[in-house]
Amino acid sequence: MSASGSIGGTARREPHTPESTIGRKPDYLHAESTLRSWFLATDHKRIAILYLASITGFFVIGALAAGVVRLALIVPNGAIMTNDTYNKAFTIHGVVMVWFFLIPSIPATFGNFLIPLMIGARDLAFPKLNLTSWYVFMAGALFTLVSVVLGGVDTGWTFYAPLSTAFSNTWVLPALIGVTIVGFSSILTGLNFVVTIHTMRAPGMTWFKLPIFVWTHYATSLIFLLATPVITTALILLIAERAFHIGVFDPAYGGDPVLFQHLFWFYSHPAVYIMVLPGMGVISEIVPAFAQKKLFGYRFVAYASIGLASVTFFVWGHHMFVNGQSDLASLVFSALSFAVAVPSAVKVYNWTATIHKGSLRLDTPMLYAMGYIGLFVLGGLTGLYLATLAINQHIHATYFVVAHFHYIMVGGTVLAFLGGLHFWWPKFTGRMYSEPWGRISALLIFLGFNVTFFPQFILGYLGMPRRYATYPAEFQLLNVLSSAGATILAAGYIFPMLYLVYSLWFGRKAPANPWNAKGLEWETASPPPTHNFLSPPEVPRVPYDYPIQAQEARDQHG
Amino acid sequence: MRNPLAALSADDRALLRRRLRTPVLTFLALLALLAVNVTLGATLPFAQVWIVELLVVAVMVALILLVSMEVIHEPPLIRLFSGLGFFWVAIMVGMTLTDYLAR
Amino acid sequence: MSEPLAQGVGVARAEHFESVAQQRQAATLGIWAWLITELLLFSALFLVALITRIQHPEATVAAAKHLKFWIGATNTVVLICSSLTMSMAIEFSRMGWQRAMVRAMLATAALGGLFLVLKGYEYYADWDEHMMPFLSHRPFALAETPAARLFVNLYYVATLLHALHLFTGIGLLLGMTWMAAKAGFLARHQNWIEVYGLYWHFIDLVWILAFPILYVVNR
Repeated sequence: MSASGSIGGTARREPHTPESTIGRKPDYLHAESTLRSWFLATDHKRIAILYLASITGFFVIGALAAGVVRLALIVPNGAIMTNDTYNKAFTIHGVVMVWFFLIPSIPATFGNFLIPLMIGARDLAFPKLNLTSWYVFMAGALFTLVSVVLGGVDTGWTFYAPLSTAFSNTWVLPALIGVTIVGFSSILTGLNFVVTIHTMRAPGMTWFKLPIFVWTHYATSLIFLLATPVITTALILLIAERAFHIGVFDPAYGGDPVLFQHLFWFYSHPAVYIMVLPGMGVISEIVPAFAQKKLFGYRFVAYASIGLASVTFFVWGHHMFVNGQSDLASLVFSALSFAVAVPSAVKVYNWTATIHKGSLRLDTPMLYAMGYIGLFVLGGLTGLYLATLAINQHIHATYFVVAHFHYIMVGGTVLAFLGGLHFWWPKFTGRMYSEPWGRISALLIFLGFNVTFFPQFILGYLGMPRRYATYPAEFQLLNVLSSAGATILAAGYIFPMLYLVYSLWFGRKAPANPWNAKGLEWETASPPPTHNFLSPPEVPRVPYDYPIQAQEARDQHG
Repeated sequence: MRNPLAALSADDRALLRRRLRTPVLTFLALLALLAVNVTLGATLPFAQVWIVELLVVAVMVALILLVSMEVIHEPPLIRLFSGLGFFWVAIMVGMTLTDYLAR
Repeated sequence: MSEPLAQGVGVARAEHFESVAQQRQAATLGIWAWLITELLLFSALFLVALITRIQHPEATVAAAKHLKFWIGATNTVVLICSSLTMSMAIEFSRMGWQRAMVRAMLATAALGGLFLVLKGYEYYADWDEHMMPFLSHRPFALAETPAARLFVNLYYVATLLHALHLFTGIGLLLGMTWMAAKAGFLARHQNWIEVYGLYWHFIDLVWILAFPILYVVNR
């Protein structure tokens, strides 16, 4: 409407109206505005927005459940809620956060939106399959929400047998079916990314010109393909076990519950890298942009992504050291687990080396990225404690584990998600968010996160087990501290939801490249047109072609 | 339309023979290998016969992948993907057996 | 592909692809990526069968001896035949012989149907012999060896999952045959036949693995 109006009135045009908006094709957000055009969209950018809206909803549900858990733990004697309610609260928190937020979070939203843009393609290879994956996701979500509405589940997100098959009296079946279904959504997304990255790159976009974001999503997609089917089988067997007592996980018939754990962790350990690798990709884009410096050790970071995705399949048994697996298995899995530290450290060193002597701008995305690096290091190093057989005996299933994986998943993935959301928000929406509010929220989240979870390392080391509604009174101070931190964290989450939504209508219009960043996604308009590029993008000579280069690179090139 | 068979020209019949040669030969080879396995399974000639049976199955799988699914004619990327799944199955089975064979 | 496509046979480019070659490559890679997931899905079940065998050798052998070996063998022959007809359909599609292709596809679907009928009969025979331990109201023939129940139930999970794939495959095949019988199909969507053929061959391959793993090696 407004576009055609301004074409008709070119002569009367206000002098300060930017030239480029005249007669420009409408962007992907404004191309069509019917509900149908959203719910039957095959444009990868619109599907990414569908995912973004749905996973934000799940994040809220999961966060509320976490709030309930922290509320219950303010008092040591379980006076606030019954054991059953507490068990259901942490199960809903885990199931929703892991399966319906963390796993799809960055790939299904940013990956969906950005991979075709970054490689210079018009869309993913299979746009209809992409839409299907969102509907599959929502179908799985529906089952899980039904189980929550009917009365909840109390097995924990891991659904260990025989608790989930023989003892739990809660709504385990719908939850299991929901999680099984959502796996297919992951598989379809991963398949689409793998094929797209292999076959849809623009002419001249060779593998070593791809942004690290694309590399990490390729690695993630391989994990989607290679790991997810195994948990599908494990869950199918679990469903059959609960519904028909088939016996394979039931010791009463000679079945082996540890076998479920093997199949479960064959997926669920690599799933940690489904959650972490895309975040690493986001950080690898943000850090060079805000240091205005070429990414240090590009090839090492790229190889480390594939390395992590491969090594992660050899370490699942470190979740099972005290569960009765053979000593040989524990030894092998423990030794191999240390190998994970190598590619992880490669990445951390390369990010810090990129920051070194860069021209730093501490805008919101960079604040999140710096927070990510610090928290990921803490989370990663405490992982080494847990991989050590003798120490693991002491801290297994304590709050030390809870703190460790929250440092990786919240400190890592959630911070990367929020950093990426601010970094690409202008590209997604065409609007700038409020920078002061962004910085305040980033600092609040960093502060709130550490106050929430650092005490849990201490609690765990002192021996407080996870998954209990009661604890000895001497642990109360640290628990109250943790709950207080969760309140700060909650405020840090609420602010972005408000000012980002506000910016959709009242934010400043974003230029094509507000951060002066490199990468094909910044070459096109904000928001991009329906087919991404109006003219075929020109692939740069080298990736991350920022003005500042590392000393070594300058020395080499004379 | 060019059916039935009798109505085909000599050229078409030669074309048909040439194009269907590989599928038919594969079919016969698979049937022969299956016959070996069924015979071994029905007679159980010695205790370790399962090793032979699994080898025969491996040959059958390789035949289907390489010939029926035409992996030998595919570019390296597809060849890699056709083998990747089997490699990952080996990781899964191998690492799980470090537990079960050492209990 | 060993020989070039016949005149008038090919693929119509979808708008988000740059070229037909790119589109074909994407479709082939896509189905192979999907087949990897299928392989891992079934392999996890085969792994459970292996662990069951390791932990309960006698019970597993007793259970495996109760399976209908000859029906399983016959079904393997049926699927090998269907692989041949599927390969023929692919060759006919490349040659542009549309009617022959449609008939080969129908034959493939019919053989798939025959497999399911035989499988159904096998389940009936199992039921008749009290070999359905998951039915709580029906006594189990091998109740004195409780661990036999593990392998027998696993057999049902694996064969039902395979049958589900075959059933879906037959549905897809019939739907595609209906479209493929229309004029101009081979000029626009020849590669659908190739991609579908890979799926069908792979479902056969899964059975080629399942038959020895369930019926043969544990005897």
